Amino acid sequence: MNHALRRVSLVCLAMFLLLLVNANYVQGFEAGKLADGPGNGRTFALQYQYQRGSIVTSDNVTVAESKHIGGVYSYQRSYPAGSIYAPVTGYDSPYNKTGIEGAEDKLLAGADPRLAVRNLIDLVTGKPRKGATVQLTVNSVAQQAAYKALKATGLPGGAVAIDPKTGGILALASYPSFNPNKLATLNGNALNQADKKYLNSPQQPLLNRAINETFPPGSTFKIVTSSAAFSSGKYTPDSRYYAPTNLKLPGTTHELINFDNSPCNDGSNPTGTGKVPLIFAFTVSCNTVFGGLGQHLGGAKLHRQANAFGMNRPLRIPMPVSPSNYPPVSNPDYTAYSAIGQYNDTVTPLQEAMFAAAIANHGTLMHPYLVQKVIAPNLSTLVVTVPSRLSRTVSPAVAGQVSRMMADVVAQPYGTAHSMVANLGGITVAGKTGTAQNGANNTGLDDAVFTGFAPVANPRIAVGVVVKGGGLGADASAPVAAAIIKAYMNYLNSSPKR
Amino acid sequence: MSAMGATGNGAGTTASQPSLAGALSLPRGRRGAELIMLAFSIGVVLFAYANAGLGLNGHVPTGLATYGVLFAVLMLGAHLAVRKLAPWADPLLLPLAALLNGLGLVMIYRLQESGRNGNPGNAISTMSASTTTFQLMWSTIGVIAFVGVLMVVREPRMLQRYTYTLGAVGLVLLALPALLPNSISEVPGTGAKIQVSLGGFSIQPEEFAKLALAVFFAGYLVAKRDVLALAGRHVLGIALPRARDMGPVLIAWAASLLVLVFESDIGTSALFFGMFLIMLYVATQRTSWLLIGTSLFLVGAWAASKLVAHVGVRFAIWLHPTLYQNVFCGSASVHVPCVPSYQLAQGLYGLGFGGLLGTGLGHGQPYLTPLVQSDFIITAFGEELGLTGVMALLLIYGLIVQRGLRAAVAVRDPFSKLLAAGLAFVVALQVFVIVGGVTQLIPLTGITTPFLSQGGSSLVASWMLIALLMRISDTARRPAPQPIQDEGMTQVVRGI
Repeated sequence: MNHALRRVSLVCLAMFLLLLVNANYVQGFEAGKLADGPGNGRTFALQYQYQRGSIVTSDNVTVAESKHIGGVYSYQRSYPAGSIYAPVTGYDSPYNKTGIEGAEDKLLAGADPRLAVRNLIDLVTGKPRKGATVQLTVNSVAQQAAYKALKATGLPGGAVAIDPKTGGILALASYPSFNPNKLATLNGNALNQADKKYLNSPQQPLLNRAINETFPPGSTFKIVTSSAAFSSGKYTPDSRYYAPTNLKLPGTTHELINFDNSPCNDGSNPTGTGKVPLIFAFTVSCNTVFGGLGQHLGGAKLHRQANAFGMNRPLRIPMPVSPSNYPPVSNPDYTAYSAIGQYNDTVTPLQEAMFAAAIANHGTLMHPYLVQKVIAPNLSTLVVTVPSRLSRTVSPAVAGQVSRMMADVVAQPYGTAHSMVANLGGITVAGKTGTAQNGANNTGLDDAVFTGFAPVANPRIAVGVVVKGGGLGADASAPVAAAIIKAYMNYLNSSPKR
Repeated sequence: MSAMGATGNGAGTTASQPSLAGALSLPRGRRGAELIMLAFSIGVVLFAYANAGLGLNGHVPTGLATYGVLFAVLMLGAHLAVRKLAPWADPLLLPLAALLNGLGLVMIYRLQESGRNGNPGNAISTMSASTTTFQLMWSTIGVIAFVGVLMVVREPRMLQRYTYTLGAVGLVLLALPALLPNSISEVPGTGAKIQVSLGGFSIQPEEFAKLALAVFFAGYLVAKRDVLALAGRHVLGIALPRARDMGPVLIAWAASLLVLVFESDIGTSALFFGMFLIMLYVATQRTSWLLIGTSLFLVGAWAASKLVAHVGVRFAIWLHPTLYQNVFCGSASVHVPCVPSYQLAQGLYGLGFGGLLGTGLGHGQPYLTPLVQSDFIITAFGEELGLTGVMALLLIYGLIVQRGLRAAVAVRDPFSKLLAAGLAFVVALQVFVIVGGVTQLIPLTGITTPFLSQGGSSLVASWMLIALLMRISDTARRPAPQPIQDEGMTQVVRGI
């Protein structure tokens, strides 16, 4: 029988070997795959068992932090400023992560390979794992001013401010916003309630209007048309161009008219049969002049110029930005419409800010970005964003010409945005208003658009604002821009080191 | 054999020199070694217990003194009983069993404390605040049963007399849950009818049936092994038995299938049939029995997976454990009912989460796996002690099996041999079925993890099993009777 017993021993040995090999496979090789398995409550809880990194503004205001509350879910994400920074930070809910919370999740969570060595040291020394801190380019003063001013309009809209020299985003606000604290709660019922409320709200508070909703740019697009015209070398701001009261568009059922159906009159063109300087047409925003000019330049040229300003392409800041569109137009009649920012033109408020930023930075458009740097738990800097050029929109000379026209829009008493001077406290602003018609047969409320930069001589901030249904750009959007510019310039002046 | 002399470890000792045999080469019982290893086991258990408390809430458990002392006294009591009742028994078995039992107690304490008394985690609804106390009580009963078996069974062959009595007892115990109404015999939520539950107090008769049937198989096969081994003809190099000798195999097969069908318990069914097959093989040394039996079982299991829903689902889950479970299963927002793979998936997640070194006792979340304190307790060890802990536990089981098989090889009489082989193999098979089940090696069937799982029957039966193995090894290692005459070179030769 012993012969059989030895064989039985071998069978037992084989069974135990199988178990051992399988345990090694499951716990050693398959562990990573299992960690990502559906409904893995352990992985889920793990993210709350250590301190997730904070998100701070460039002026060191904490806008997202993890607070220790004890228990298995030891840390609770909290957003001290509530809804103001929501479009920037996004939220870190048990279901998903958006905004910077989503885009920089690996670093905030401390799971990024760049933190691996540090985590290993922590493991050995028994220190709890900690996430890295993300420092934004956002300035708390500018951001608060942007949100407050948008909120004051009571209308949905978005506002973005950029440092034109670097592309660093100084403010990125959207209204109506949401309270990310409500989505970060670990109370399942409260979370579901908040989630349902936000998702079902007709105001769409979760929509980031600054980068993920597009609006017709309206007359602000004349910056692009002018840029294309000046770049051709055939025009300067002082070139005189046909300024009819009505621009006949034979291919359409419409005629292009000026805002109040008046001739574009600088005193020399009372009947709408003559020419006016382009700088005058820009300052008072004559549609017929720029419609005709755009027609003359052609859709292809405008398309190229729009591309140079960053349109027609996806962008990451690091969150994905909806592309602003200027689709190629071949029909000259529709080209006229597209040249004044109507037809199929759509832009995000960020794109509006990029128009102004490019002109402010002598034609060089910097890649917009939100993350200034990432700081490891040991306070060493892990990542620093080096500003990079997105594109060369126009030559410095052309930028100077467009800038001169934009300055007139605000400075000249007849400029469309002159009313904002009163709110600026002496800061010089160059800008362009837009009043974009909307809806089928333009039955929708006009969207108010503004793009501009300040100070004119040495631009430090470029702003883009869209207020949906706000009416005249000068009425609804320019004050928002003025508020942001003023707040930020005051901030800069009060801290001289910057 | 005779040349081994005093270097043999007892079983092969030959008293070639009477004077030496009397004074020097008397085989050692190695009780001292057992005591040292037992102390080591107790130390590990106490350390683990303190560690669990520290891991949970940063404090050494308040019960450390009482529970610790109780456990130590219990195990030392067992040791003293062995010293008296089975002085030549294998010195490893008791420390190994004590270590497993103690670690099981520690894990049950840790699971019980989860979410209670201010400790982190969710409270496990299927455990009460006194589960550990109950388990310690069952351990006491187990050790008493261990001592009882050693006292009653002074010689393993004595059991041979009760072959058919114990066979009948085993069958009754096995069939009992199937005959009782579901309210008494069904384990809630599993569909398996394997217990007898009265007034909140439940036992699983199959655990004891296992022991009774092992004795029955051993006795029966010893009596019938010649005919089972020799008759028949060769086909393709395999000696096939005669058709009429197929009887016992078919009966055992039918009985295991009945268990499967009426108690919806493929694990127990596999356990009994596997034990029978191996004992049949050892008795007859005929590989054909193994082939026939294994094919029969596979056919039966396949048919059952098609016919019995409970078994079919297990197969589907085995193939895709994470597929069928609702993502938010078990949380506050349950929209879709949990499907049965939740448990297996959570167990696997726990094992994966533990990784190589584990989270440390008290730091994991084993409570996320339903019924982690019984069938899935190995996943709790895997989560908190890691692959290292699981491998250590498997090696402990492996050692128990090895010591059992060693006793089988060493013991002389065929009945004891068969019994030891059957008992050792059933431990191996049980560990294989449950650990393989929860680690997705084979389809999961709910049977207990010997010594570790919460529950009294399994623990008591396991202690009794260890007692039987120790008794057999004691018989095997017991020095041969002294030759009566001094003169001459009479040898006592042990036949194997």
